Amino acid sequence: MKEVLAYPANYWQTMYEIWLFVAVAIYLVVFIPGAYFLIKYRYRKGANEKAQHVHESKALEVLWTIIPTIVVIYLATHSFAFYKVQRTAPESAMEIKVTAFMWGWEFEYPNGKKVYSFFNSVVNPETNAYLSPDKVNDMFKAYIPAGTPVKVLCTSRDVLHSFYVHPAKVMEDCVPGRITHLWFQINQPGDYWTFCREYCGTQHSKMAAVLKVVPKEEFERWMKEGMQTSNESNKQNL
Amino acid sequence: MAAISYRPYFSAGLKEWIFTTDHKKIGILYGVTSLVFFLIAGLSALAIRMELYQPGLQYMGEDAYNQALTVHGVLMQFWWAVAIWSSFGNYLLPLMIGARDVAFPRFNALSYWFFFAASVLALLTLLPGNHIRMMWTGYPPFSLNENAGPVAFYVLIIHLLGASSLAAAINLVVTNLTMRAPGITLKKMNLFLHAFLAMNVIQILGVPALAGAVTMLLMDKYFHTAFFDPTRGGDPLLYQNLFWFYSHPVVYVMILPAFGVISEIIATFSRREIFGRTSMILAIWGIAILGFMVWIHHMFTSGVPDWIRIIFSYTTVLIGVPTGIKIFNWIFTLYKGSIRFTAPMLYILSAIFMFLIGGLTGIPLGLPAFDIAVHDSHFIVAHFHYVLGMALTLAVFGGFHYWYPKYTGRMYSELWAKIALVLIMIGSNLFYFLQFIVGLEGMPRRYADYPPIESWIRLHELQTIGSMILGIGIALAVLNLILSTKFGKKAEDNPWQSPSLEWLVPSPPPPHNFDKIPHMPEDWDPYNYDWLEKHHKKQ
Repeated sequence: MKEVLAYPANYWQTMYEIWLFVAVAIYLVVFIPGAYFLIKYRYRKGANEKAQHVHESKALEVLWTIIPTIVVIYLATHSFAFYKVQRTAPESAMEIKVTAFMWGWEFEYPNGKKVYSFFNSVVNPETNAYLSPDKVNDMFKAYIPAGTPVKVLCTSRDVLHSFYVHPAKVMEDCVPGRITHLWFQINQPGDYWTFCREYCGTQHSKMAAVLKVVPKEEFERWMKEGMQTSNESNKQNL
Repeated sequence: MAAISYRPYFSAGLKEWIFTTDHKKIGILYGVTSLVFFLIAGLSALAIRMELYQPGLQYMGEDAYNQALTVHGVLMQFWWAVAIWSSFGNYLLPLMIGARDVAFPRFNALSYWFFFAASVLALLTLLPGNHIRMMWTGYPPFSLNENAGPVAFYVLIIHLLGASSLAAAINLVVTNLTMRAPGITLKKMNLFLHAFLAMNVIQILGVPALAGAVTMLLMDKYFHTAFFDPTRGGDPLLYQNLFWFYSHPVVYVMILPAFGVISEIIATFSRREIFGRTSMILAIWGIAILGFMVWIHHMFTSGVPDWIRIIFSYTTVLIGVPTGIKIFNWIFTLYKGSIRFTAPMLYILSAIFMFLIGGLTGIPLGLPAFDIAVHDSHFIVAHFHYVLGMALTLAVFGGFHYWYPKYTGRMYSELWAKIALVLIMIGSNLFYFLQFIVGLEGMPRRYADYPPIESWIRLHELQTIGSMILGIGIALAVLNLILSTKFGKKAEDNPWQSPSLEWLVPSPPPPHNFDKIPHMPEDWDPYNYDWLEKHHKKQ
């Protein structure tokens, strides 16, 4: 089996392919007879000057009520089965807390480590133009272990935002006063976009953050970095 | 017919236009206002497309972009997609049922002047300092924020439009049910009238929900209540529920009349009755009822419980069934017809084609497993521009051309109407089809700027070129309609040879429509084209 870039994007991909097949089939079922009738029954001088009358056909009408009903109920049921997987994080998932604000993201890891990404951390400060994700300063990147399921608990500090993980093809709104959830797993190391998908004001279109997916060992090392000292200083303060 | 000549109603003076209670003049007032705002909204769309041509901000800042998008959304929805049907309904409904005016003519004038007041307010928001930047949905808590602009304008606009829509809806429903001329039974009524009946019932049931939602928004923002403010115990999702309880059914307020127009034109130019007329009427009401049971699909990623999403995914996809019935019936109306390819026919055939694509791409948006990746992406934007943007606009322009000789007594230029249609179809498909693709690739909606991903840039460039072609096409179609009022050939009273009642009066119709209320005989039917031939031979 070829390696999938990200979960649960594979389910979306399958759903997309099923729908595309059904949609193209229905399109042809409508378009071909439509085009044929338009050509065959066009008005010509001396031929087909008068229409013939066909009021209705019970059989046809029942047919195009029942078959579409079956097709759409099948699609909804298929989606139901997939959606359950897309919404249920595996038991082993690592939990991170994502808090959205105008305009940026806070990522909090299980050991308390936090990463902040702001609307101006993904742009070139001189031109205000978007950088490509690998050019963004590592300081602003949320590190994610490759091949590990991650469950995101999302909320917002001010207005509605939406957390969309580009390679995993999942999103969920971040609602102030509520905690929403989604999960994903990215299998190949690299830099990936996440975007805000709910309109939130001036810098909405720059409210992106970069996920830096790294091998597990590197992630463990990174997560501990900087935490040691702060824990010690906490002890000293106590 | 008595040879009394009337002054053409459109040559009336200013005073007469302002104080008129004639349904035809009010219909024209609605139409002109609607068209002016359609052009403003269209220009703001072109500005948006220019900005998206390349990544980065070249022509306007984020705030200007957000304002342009808000203007585009609000004006296109309320001034074009909803209000243009008030124009058609007012002008044609009394003519089609053999009445001299609507049931409450002064109430009718009031509903236009409410609409006019809302139009003035909408223009005021274009002044610096009054810019609203919260998108047409106006979700709190963002709309409670300073960044959103003066929300009170928006709330008042919605209230004025709501009052106008309610008044118009009640008026047209009463007119339709009580003032039909003898012989026009509910079963024999034009499908256009059935569509307007269902559409107005939706308005009456739905508008109060939106009015309530925006009133709460106003109170939250200015009187410190806490309906939607989570920091004081409110719930922002309450607004979304109330908002979409009206704003989903309103898409059927927009599209059902378009279906009505399509049915009229396709029957006339196939020279035969609508195939499966009973199932067409049942489908209209099926859509109207189901339309109130699907609003959660706008909230599939908003944090509502998963089981609610699943229930609403079933109701949502089921709407595809009555819609499918309508499309199949239209296709089979062509069967054994004698099809004339006039401009209005070509416009509505294009509308059916665009609606088919829009409908098929709407089905996956009802499937949460698919929607989870494309909600609030350009995919959904492309979907509703196929159905509401293009299918609706093409049906409206089909209607403009079809009833043009009735309205003005003149003919439009057939050639220019067809050239405009070709440009519109090339431009819109280049534009919106690529918008599907960039949406599938993840491009979020309402972004003034986007990251320089190679394929996104190319797709956006082509979309902008498409939008310019579309803009030229629309401009040509509108110019043709305007110039033909002066230079068009004189039209006959019934150039399309239709037995539908509006065609049996002179063009343009006299102020009182009918010299005496017509009694329609047993064998008459608005789609019985043979009846007309017999009738004319007798004369």
